[in-house]
Amino acid sequence: MVFPIPHDTVPILEITDLQVELITATGVVRAVDGVSFVIRRGETVTLIGESGSGKSTTAMGVLQLLPDDLAVLSGSVKVGGVDLLTDRGAAGRIRGRMVSLIPQDPMTSLSPVHTVGAQLKGAIRLAGHSKAAAGKRAVELLEAVRIPRPAEQLTKYPHQLSGGMLQRVLIAIALAGHPVLLVADEPTSALDVTVQAGILDLLMELQERTGVGILMITHDLGVARLVSDRIHVMREGRFVESGEAEQVVDAPREDYTRRLLAAVPQLGPMDDVTARTDPPHTPSPAGATAVVLENAPGGTR
Amino acid sequence: MTTYVLKRLGQSVLTLFLTLTTVFVLLRLAPGDPAAAYAGPNPTTEDLARIRAQFGLDDSLLGQYGTFLANLVRGDLGTSFSFQAPALDVVLDRLPYTLTLAVSAILVTAVVAVPLGVWMARHVHTGREFGANLFTIAGQSMPDFWSGIMLLTLFAVVLPVFPASGFATWGGLVLPTLTIAVLQIALISRMVAREMSTNMTSPFLTVARSRGVSERGLTWRYGMTNSAIPVLTALGTRFAAMLNGVVVVEVVFAWPGVGSLVVRALETRDYPLIQATVLVTAVLTVAVQLLIDLAYPLLDPRVRLTKTSGRSASPATAPSAQTAQEAVPA
Repeated sequence: MVFPIPHDTVPILEITDLQVELITATGVVRAVDGVSFVIRRGETVTLIGESGSGKSTTAMGVLQLLPDDLAVLSGSVKVGGVDLLTDRGAAGRIRGRMVSLIPQDPMTSLSPVHTVGAQLKGAIRLAGHSKAAAGKRAVELLEAVRIPRPAEQLTKYPHQLSGGMLQRVLIAIALAGHPVLLVADEPTSALDVTVQAGILDLLMELQERTGVGILMITHDLGVARLVSDRIHVMREGRFVESGEAEQVVDAPREDYTRRLLAAVPQLGPMDDVTARTDPPHTPSPAGATAVVLENAPGGTR
Repeated sequence: MTTYVLKRLGQSVLTLFLTLTTVFVLLRLAPGDPAAAYAGPNPTTEDLARIRAQFGLDDSLLGQYGTFLANLVRGDLGTSFSFQAPALDVVLDRLPYTLTLAVSAILVTAVVAVPLGVWMARHVHTGREFGANLFTIAGQSMPDFWSGIMLLTLFAVVLPVFPASGFATWGGLVLPTLTIAVLQIALISRMVAREMSTNMTSPFLTVARSRGVSERGLTWRYGMTNSAIPVLTALGTRFAAMLNGVVVVEVVFAWPGVGSLVVRALETRDYPLIQATVLVTAVLTVAVQLLIDLAYPLLDPRVRLTKTSGRSASPATAPSAQTAQEAVPA
């Protein structure tokens, strides 16, 4: 595996003063309003914020996946030193090779009429492997993402696999082109809680092994703290607070970050729930304990 | 699979029986006398009585139906009044012409409408799509008797490129095919465009784009395969309809197919011939529908053919099949 990046001092991703304006039915919305950050080899940088804060738009901007006619980008998005906003053909060259996407909902992110193997092998072929080598490489990639009986899974269709399995397949597909950066757009939001930790562990393990940089998009502070080197708290298209993960989570400087932290669901006794929620007998997913939501930030609502 | 096919075949026999019975009764309830149509101008009362007796039209409705069923079981659909030949043979003689026209029209439709629909989906909300829409709406709005006559005038009279009528040469196939295809292309291309624009914004397509799949690959490999069921269903349904005889077009172009035969049979109250036509076209329609349903599981692995009924093979069940996840521990 040859990294096209000469040495670790050149950032994998360098975003400077990125602005994204989206053309909507009601007018032009500035979804991202001048954000700048860098990701170096082996680093995980997390953008955290509420729905509509612009974090996913930033991620899609990195991959140039926003519709051309509805999104206007300015500033610079440099991947390995190449600015995607000035070099129009660059996005096509980096997609799947240098930068890969790990999507939000694995259940709808694979074509339902093609087998998992066909889609994985397609990605391997795009990375330049021969047809003969693709089969072997597909099994290796599924092994790398800890899928049991890989040869058998290759013949299955997406609807025959669980969400967690599909997310592993999508990670394998993302790895097919030896990327230097993974853009993970809420990679665990659509998964069962029991499966989420496994996916995050896998991403961290892969990062340790390959030195891949990760741009993590999440609204989950637990996820952010677990995986991040740096966290940028995003609100209304801007970074309101940026810093090392521990610092942002343990000693937030901004009031908005504190409110975001306070909004994290906490486990409390069952009685607590009956006292606070309406209707009183809401079934609890946790059984004996329940999730209590309090002090949600009123910010952008 | 075998059970499913057997069940469907059983249903088909019932469908055909009910269709034939309905047509049999309705024909005899409708006003008009086959004997008068057969006898020619100014028949005497004796002539009419003789003809009625010859055709067995004096029996009670139930009696005629009994004879009809008894003959049907032996594969005898009666003798055509006007052709004085076995009705089924008369229809089967005409069938190849209608089949040729239908196959030719559906091929032209598929070859033009699918790429046109894809193109419209790629240029959605642009001037190009607007232009294509003008064309398709015009195609949909023109009645076939009018577009047929216009094509005739242009390409057989003003510029005598193609023969005006009949099927003496392959050139005779061109104008009737175009007349049918104009309407079908308009309908199918708009449908393809709708299906494709839905698929081109789906998450799996965005993810495929993110891993570097080319626009061509996205369109055909991921977009089109996921639109295959509705598109094939539409094409199949249109094809089945054409097999019933493209009546107006066959009449305009004096095409010797089932459609023009139906017109003649109706004019002369030729009961056996009408019944034979209905049976043949109904068998073809049912067969085409069955073939389409059998193709569903090949086009979408989420569809399973169950023995309960043909409906369960519809793509509408696909999303629910998706929720029935196999529990694989992650």
